[in-house]
Parts: sequence; C-alpha cells; structure tokens
Amino acid sequence: MKKIKYTITILAAYILASCHKLNVPPLNIISEDQVFSSANGVEAYLANIYTFLPMEDFVYEPNGGFMTGNGGRWQCFYHTDAIDGEMAGPFGGTGDAATGFGFWPYDRIRVINILINDLPKYASLYTPAQVNEWLGEAYFCRAYTYFAIVKRYGGVPIVKTVVDPNASIASLQVPRNTEEDCYKFIGADFDTAYSLMWVPGASGNPSIEQGAASKYAAMAYKSRAMLYAATIAKYGAANYVDGPARAAGLVGIPAGDANTFFQAAYDAAKLVEGQFSLYTGGYPDKEQNYVDLFLKPNNEQIFIRQYSQSDPNLNSDNSGPHSWDATMTCRIMTGDGLSRAYPDYDYVERYGELPIVNADGTPTRFNNLADITNGLEPRLLATVYFPGMTLRGQTFDQQRGIYKTFTGSAAQELSDNLNTPNDVYGQYPDTAAGVNLIFSSSSNNVYAGHNVIGRAGFNPSTGDDNTRTGFYLRKYINYNAPASACGLYQSTQSYIDMRYAEVLLNRAEAAYELGNTADALADINAIRDRAGAVEATNSMTIDTIRNERDKELAFEHQYWWDIRRWRIADQVLDNRKLYGLMPYYISSENKFIFLKQIETFQRTYTFQKIWYYEPLPGGELAKNPNLYPNNPGY
Amino acid sequence: MKNFLIAALVLAAYSCAKTDNYAAPNSTYQGNLIDSVTGKNLLTETGGASLMLKQLSWSGTPDPYYIPTKPDGSFEDTRIYSGQYSVLPTQGAFWPTDSVVTQIGGSTSQNFTVVPYLEITHFTDTLSADSLVMTCQLMAPRQNGLPEILEIWPFVNSTEFVGSGAFITNFTISDPSNGSYNLAAINSNWNATIAATTYRLVVHGLIAGRTYFARLGVRVNDSYRKYNFSPIVEVDVPTK
Repeated sequence: MKKIKYTITILAAYILASCHKLNVPPLNIISEDQVFSSANGVEAYLANIYTFLPMEDFVYEPNGGFMTGNGGRWQCFYHTDAIDGEMAGPFGGTGDAATGFGFWPYDRIRVINILINDLPKYASLYTPAQVNEWLGEAYFCRAYTYFAIVKRYGGVPIVKTVVDPNASIASLQVPRNTEEDCYKFIGADFDTAYSLMWVPGASGNPSIEQGAASKYAAMAYKSRAMLYAATIAKYGAANYVDGPARAAGLVGIPAGDANTFFQAAYDAAKLVEGQFSLYTGGYPDKEQNYVDLFLKPNNEQIFIRQYSQSDPNLNSDNSGPHSWDATMTCRIMTGDGLSRAYPDYDYVERYGELPIVNADGTPTRFNNLADITNGLEPRLLATVYFPGMTLRGQTFDQQRGIYKTFTGSAAQELSDNLNTPNDVYGQYPDTAAGVNLIFSSSSNNVYAGHNVIGRAGFNPSTGDDNTRTGFYLRKYINYNAPASACGLYQSTQSYIDMRYAEVLLNRAEAAYELGNTADALADINAIRDRAGAVEATNSMTIDTIRNERDKELAFEHQYWWDIRRWRIADQVLDNRKLYGLMPYYISSENKFIFLKQIETFQRTYTFQKIWYYEPLPGGELAKNPNLYPNNPGY
Repeated sequence: MKNFLIAALVLAAYSCAKTDNYAAPNSTYQGNLIDSVTGKNLLTETGGASLMLKQLSWSGTPDPYYIPTKPDGSFEDTRIYSGQYSVLPTQGAFWPTDSVVTQIGGSTSQNFTVVPYLEITHFTDTLSADSLVMTCQLMAPRQNGLPEILEIWPFVNSTEFVGSGAFITNFTISDPSNGSYNLAAINSNWNATIAATTYRLVVHGLIAGRTYFARLGVRVNDSYRKYNFSPIVEVDVPTK
C-alpha cells in the first residue's frame, strides 16, 4: 500500500511537471531583440559583418582564403600577384591557386540578411537617419560579399531573405541565377546603399569612422563591379569555354549589354568626383609622396581595413597584426620571417625598357649599382626597391655574381652562359681556364676584394629568402619602423582596399570603352601627374589605360582579376617565364652591368581558359543539385 | 546479470556502426584514343587529353572523374568502381565528341576515335652541327569551323617525355635578352596558304655529345589550347 502511495505521488509529480512549458529565454544565446534594441548592439553586429568582409588584404591567399582564422596569416607572400606574373613568388605555377579554395560565404550573407530584414522592426527606437545609415552599410556589405562570389564563379544563387533552416529541403536548394542578373543585383544593392547612407560631415551628420563604408564608397565599388561585368560581356563573348553553364547564361554576359554596364561604371565613378582626391601630401618629392600614400591616413583612401597590435587573439578575427614587412623584404632588414615574392622585370618594363644595353649590344657599364635608378619615374621607385636603394640603414646590394672579365654583347653572353662552366665560389682555383663567372651561396664570400653576391643578393643556399629577380617590393613597406619591429605579426599599417586612383582608372576605362576619349585622357593624366610620369596624349589606346592601371595598382590584388576579366590571361600567361634584372660586377673593370635573365627558379606560368571561372565547391554541389551544371570544363 | 548487461552494451555500441558494404574500386578501365586520320593512337603528351567519367549508377549529378591520357594516346585506371558511366574524351586537341554510356566492371577496354584539329604531316628532322632543323606541313581533317590556328612550337627535352609540359626553355626561347619565343606564329584561320606551306623550325645550340628528344606541336585557340604533335625523334649530337 505504501508502495502504491509513493508511486502515485511520483506519477503525480511527473504529470504536474509535464504541464510546465519551458519558456525561459536561454542565457547563452543573444537574441535578436537584445541586439537590435540598442545602438551599441546594432553597431557591434555591424562591426562583426565588417570583420568578415571577404577583402583581399594583406593576409588573403588565393589558394588559402580570407585569413579570418590563424591559418596562414603570416604568409603574405602567397599573393595573387605571385600567380599572375607581376611577382616571382612561392607558387609553382598559375595552377596552384587558379581553382580557388571553395569560397561559399552564404553564412555571412545570412548574417547580413538578418539585419536588413529585422532592423526595420525596431526602427521606432532610433532616428530615421540612423536606421538608414545602418541599413545602407548592410546593403553595401551584401553587395561587397556577392561581388566576391560572383567574380569567382559567375552566376550564383541570389538569396535576399532570411531562410528558415527548417523549411523543406526543396525550398532551400536555391538554383543559380545568371551572371548578368547577379551583377545587376550587386549594382542595385550598391545603389540602395548610396541612397540610404548619409553624406558624411554634412549638416548634423557625424563623419564616417575609419574602416566603415560611406555613401561614396558604395559608388566606388559599384564602378569596380560594373566594370567587371562590362568587360566580361565585351571580351568574354569572344574568348570563352563552352558548356551547359554558359548556354544557360550562368557564366558569361551577352556582348550587347556591355555598354549598359560601362555606362553604369562610368556614372558611379563620376559620383565619387570631388569627395576624395589623389594624395599629394609629400610634395614636392613625388617619390616620397607615393610611398607615404600607403602608410599615412589621407583623403585618397575610400575604404580600408585596420589591424591592431593590441589584439591578443590572432584567431578571433581579422584585426590582429599582419606580416607584410617581415615577408616582403629580405632577412637583413627585418626582425624575423623571410621573403618569398619579388617584383619581376616584366613589371618594371611596363615603364619602358631600362638602359641596360648599348646600341652596339654590349651591356651598359655602371659605376654604382644605384645608378640604374637615375631618371626613373618616381612612382616606379616608390613601388619597387631597386639594387642600390636603402631601407632601415641597410643597402639592397643584391648581385647575381662576379665576372672576372666581360667582353662582347649581352645576347652573346646569355647564350654562352649555358655552355661554359661557372664557378660556385671556391670550386675552381682562381687561375682555372674557362671559368669566368663566379656565383656564391654565402653573402660573406669575397672575390678580389669585392663581395660576390652582396648581403641582399641571389643566394641559392638560403632557399627563397633572397631575391630571384633583382628587386624587392616597396609598396606598403613601413620604412619608419625599426628592423626589430618588423617581425612576423608585428605590422599594423592599414590595407587600402579602395582608393580614389582606382576610381579614376575605372572611370577612364569605362569612358574610353564608351568612346569618351577626352574624359579618359583627363583621368589618366591626373594619375600620371601625381605619379611624376610623362603625360599621355590623344593617341592613347585601351592598352595605354590598361597599362596605367597595372602600373598604378600593382601588388594590390588587382592584376589577377584584371587579366581574367579582360579575358587575356590565357595569352599573357602562356608557357610564360618571368624575367629578372640581374646585376653583375665586372672585376677587371670595377664596373657593374645588368643582364635580363629568367628568374632563378625558372618557373613556367600557364593560364588555362577554364580558369576564367572557378569550379563550384564539390560539397555545395552535393548538398544542392540545383547548382548544376558546374562551370565549363569542370 | 552482469554479463548480460555487458553483452547488451556491446551490442548497443555495435548497432550504430553500419558496415561499408560497397565493393572496393577494383575494376580496370583502359583503352586508346584513336586518331581518325591515321587510324593509330593519337599522339599527345602527359595529360594532353582526359577522359571525363560520370558514374551514373551512383548519382544523377555525379562529380566528374578524370583519367588523363598517357603520351602514347592510351589510358588506364586500375582502381575504379564498377558501375555505369558516361565517358567523354575531352580537354585535348581534337573536335568535341559526344559522351558514351559504358558499363565498367572487371577489366573493361574501350577505344575512342577522335578527329584531331590538325595533323602534322611530312615531318622531317635533320641535324646540322649544333642545330636541329625540323620541318612539317599541316593538314586539317575538318576545316569548317576550325578555331584560329595559333603557332607551331619546337619542343626539345633530354628525356623521351617531351611536350608542352616538358621542354628545355633555352631551346624554345630564341632570344634570351628579350624573351621572344622560337616558334612559327600563324595566328590565322585555316586557308590555302597554310595548307601549302612547309614550316621550318630551327633549334640552335644543342650541346655536343648529348642525346635529345624532339617534336613539334601545333595548337588552335579552342577552350583547352592543347597541342597536336608530331612523333618524337631521338637526336644524338655527335661529340666534336
């Protein structure tokens, strides 16, 4: 009986308890109303979105992704410009990075869509201007993120709403939109951002924080995105890979729509006019001015990412320090780390051939290494460290080797070079016949009173950490920091993702393609004037504009995308070897010469046409068969 | 009782482990790409063409699986799942073809006949001192709609693996000081002049006493820009 009593009591307890619905908010999850009901909450939410914007900054790797985790964020030399032929770098060839890393950030798009969908419910808590500004920034970030996806894959699913994960599988498997529709969507989002955001500094409006988007940033990026669409339409109509995805318009844009997109790019760039300007703070020294453009806050910067030494947790987000200084200069000038990517002579030659060969074919003799820089354009000297220049008290004294004597022409020497024995320092006695050229694997070796390779020279034994081309990168190198502060994870200079020079170049390209040569010429000459270059004339061609773009935006993750959207990558990189400018010392004459030779690793770069689009990630195709057909060739 | 509990626990633990009862990839699939003009194997290079396989018996939208061809135009994969596949020869220097549905199981052999874009004919090679002279003519099995013909490349290597992915740069770059390539540029659509021309390519500076392997390759501006090749010749440069 007692047992029954207990049983009933326990049963009753269970039954009573079962009526309690668990309706207590969980303590470990921040809910929507907690976030959106305070200005701090909304701003923190937005800051998180900015942190994960897919920006190709210092720590971006074309085969490794956006380094939001610890990943390889010290390996700044894994740079897009090391696969496209601007730099001789760590990649074995173009293919190492051409198929991407399976970028598919729909989780980030969902985070942005939540703000766009849900913030208006809380609008009564704020002023309309505040709400619009936040929404504008969210639209900006959505367009920015979509552009990063579309430029890789072509058409992708456009998802504008917050999708319920419990909805039917069929409704979650969104098919791809056409590439053209995706670009129209991106343009529309930038337009919305532009219309919603306030004019910074105008009456009553606060100024925009550094690192946040502005009304005019939206137009600057729109000019970039629309230019991509326009050139893909114009040039992709002739040079493409066929396949079901192309037939369905998922990749490729009809050529007839090119001008609409060119016009949109032009109009967007024009709207930015007067809001930003080319930096001239270091005048009259144009070289120093161009160096400082990348190191000092200025009115050319439209959108930047900042890094902080004080962020103790490198793994949490993108705001920790980067390693640009440590990984772009050789070890003698840095705290630690090593360099592995070097501008090549092909880039330097965009400014014209250097006077290294006389009219009779013999190499020009120079008294000093640094004499090679005489009379060069300030922008070139501010972008690339030439032999003989100095940084942090050290000289770039790179030499390939020493010739005992040098007779004859440069071309003759280069072909003889293959057949005659060379001395790797100390291998032959000094009197050995036939040995005329001395290399060295140690920067300490001295031949006849002269260092064989110099401290920053071509050193085969230290692997990558010495130039392969005769150059080192100067853009973004913080010359003010002492070597001890230039180790790994110690650099904090901001990355400029969008600057006014690019807007002018976008405008010039669009204007020229639309037949407005006068506007294009004025834009190009504004850039050239600041660069200290000779002004362009009316006879310029589209190649003049493209070359100007390559010179101005070099090593800023632009050239890789440019040769892709111009559909010339398969011609530019076609069994291509990269060249260096090799300095040699001639012992018998006490002079220096420079020979144009293939960079010392002699790598070959070939771009396959199918790489104009990356393959859709296999995991996503498995989850969503509606993404088929995959891009052509995959 | 205790034993029973342990037995039950062990059973429970095993109940979730499903055995992988798929057969291992133990089939062999092999064959040749046949050149429709010569009736022999297509002359290509390592990775010069591929067979794209889609296992239809696995999924309606399978990820493609590629078998690269060998330099002699044959292909072989000894570790492939048996099942029904659609097979397409692709990524090579030949006209696009249709895919074929094939049952692969055990040891399956299959040949595919493809129409090359171009055929290198009348191929000759002569060695004079340290220069190798190669001549050839071009023939187009199908002229209508043939993509633009780009150029003829001379490839020289020190092993019999010679082609666009394996050649000694210094013999293919004619002038190291400006980086121009030693090739016969055509850059034109097929015409009577091309058909009538004998192309002559000279590789200078071969080193005495060494053996080289050489061939010519021609390509058109299609999606893959792969090469149609001449046969490989062995060149023994006599010692001086």
